[in-house]
Amino acid sequence: MRYGGDNRGRLLLIALIVTSLFLITLDLRGVQVIDGIRTATQTALTPVQKAGSWVVSPFRNFLSDITHLGRTRNQIEKLKADNDVLRQKLLSRKVADAELKQLKSVLNLAGNGGFKIVSAKVISQGSSTSFAQTITIDAGTSSGIRSNMTVISGFGLVGVVKVSYANSAVVQLASDPSFRVGARIAGSQQIGILSGQGTRKAVLQLLDNTQDIKVGDAILARGSNNGRPFVPGVPIGEVTAVDNSAGAITQTADVKFYSNFATLGVVSVVVGAPATDPRDALVPAKPVPTPIPTVTVTATPSPTASSQG
Amino acid sequence: MISRRFLLSFPIFLTVYLLQEGFVTQLRLPAGGLSLMLVFTFAWASMSTPEIGALTGFGAGLMMDLSPTTPGPLGQWTLVMILVSFVISFLSYGDDHVRANPLNIVFLVIGGVVGAQISFAIFGLLLGQQLGSALQVLFICAGTAFWSGVVTPLLLPIISRLHAAVFGTVSRI
Repeated sequence: MRYGGDNRGRLLLIALIVTSLFLITLDLRGVQVIDGIRTATQTALTPVQKAGSWVVSPFRNFLSDITHLGRTRNQIEKLKADNDVLRQKLLSRKVADAELKQLKSVLNLAGNGGFKIVSAKVISQGSSTSFAQTITIDAGTSSGIRSNMTVISGFGLVGVVKVSYANSAVVQLASDPSFRVGARIAGSQQIGILSGQGTRKAVLQLLDNTQDIKVGDAILARGSNNGRPFVPGVPIGEVTAVDNSAGAITQTADVKFYSNFATLGVVSVVVGAPATDPRDALVPAKPVPTPIPTVTVTATPSPTASSQG
Repeated sequence: MISRRFLLSFPIFLTVYLLQEGFVTQLRLPAGGLSLMLVFTFAWASMSTPEIGALTGFGAGLMMDLSPTTPGPLGQWTLVMILVSFVISFLSYGDDHVRANPLNIVFLVIGGVVGAQISFAIFGLLLGQQLGSALQVLFICAGTAFWSGVVTPLLLPIISRLHAAVFGTVSRI
């Protein structure tokens, strides 16, 4: 038989119910003490909850991974796809930025020299199996580009248009071993013939060996009749070594091209020669070395030390 | 005598309360999760006299009301827990058919958990609380019943031993 409790038990039950109803009434009437008790409870519970979170987090993550297994996998796939798209966009953006930078610099050079130019993108690098060094650009006769026109980048001479098609043109790079250009040294105006060597380095053969040539001298294009194939004043490179062998008929020097042929993205074809020779106006400024600050520590004798001594 | 034993059980319930607030709630179990406090209280009440059951419900309900995450006013859980614990004690205490099989206690606890939640929801509605859709309430009740069904058989031996330690070996299952 069930035990339902005696009168004392029923009284206790009623007392407890009344107490709870009393508490509800107090809370609903907005007694401040109740809020204070809850605040105190939360304050006391906070360290326990922090500890609990630290202890439980690995287990919770495990549970979450299990319960969201399918969803997580879908999410990973979606994020991977998004990541690929973003990476592609970033790559395109980087390429566009690099091309913009090159275009700006070549426009700057052409503007300073007074050249009339047509800019074009490099669409392919010629095969080197035939030992020739060429590039193909996406502009041709329809843009006014003809063979034997000077091709420049933002740094200087790139080469010369070899063959021009309707919408493209093949450019012989200055590094091509068969490339030759009449050059002069900025300042001294010594003239010579610069020939490509298959690398970024070229050889300059001076026609007159009575004047000295120095490392660091800038080399510019001498220019041709009517600006074809070469317009005057285009920077070519910088002397890196001089060969002063005794008994040599002519002086020779190694020249490093200003243009880096491996990174060409945008080039410009000079379709109109300047009205006047820019002379040495296009010689690139020498890089200014960054001063390295030095700190000098000077020992100062302490007055107290000397007085004690 | 009753008061002394009631006070003895206080540290046990405080520990359960801290476990619930500090650890079980952090697990974020799906479908309403588990209330260790409800399971422990109702299992405890099923082994106690109705007076002790009501007192246990009062103490446990007060602790639950003090939890800052409780939406209702202080006293709402207290009232619900007093009533449900008393009912469970009344149904189980002194009835050997119920106490003979631990499975009965498990079902009693699960029934108590669902009953307490529904009672809390009804009192909440009367007091003007927003509880969401009826479907959502039922889903949570079902989820809590499921977790209670999982945990109660595991906890029952521990609760039984603790109860016996406080009230004497007579009540041990």
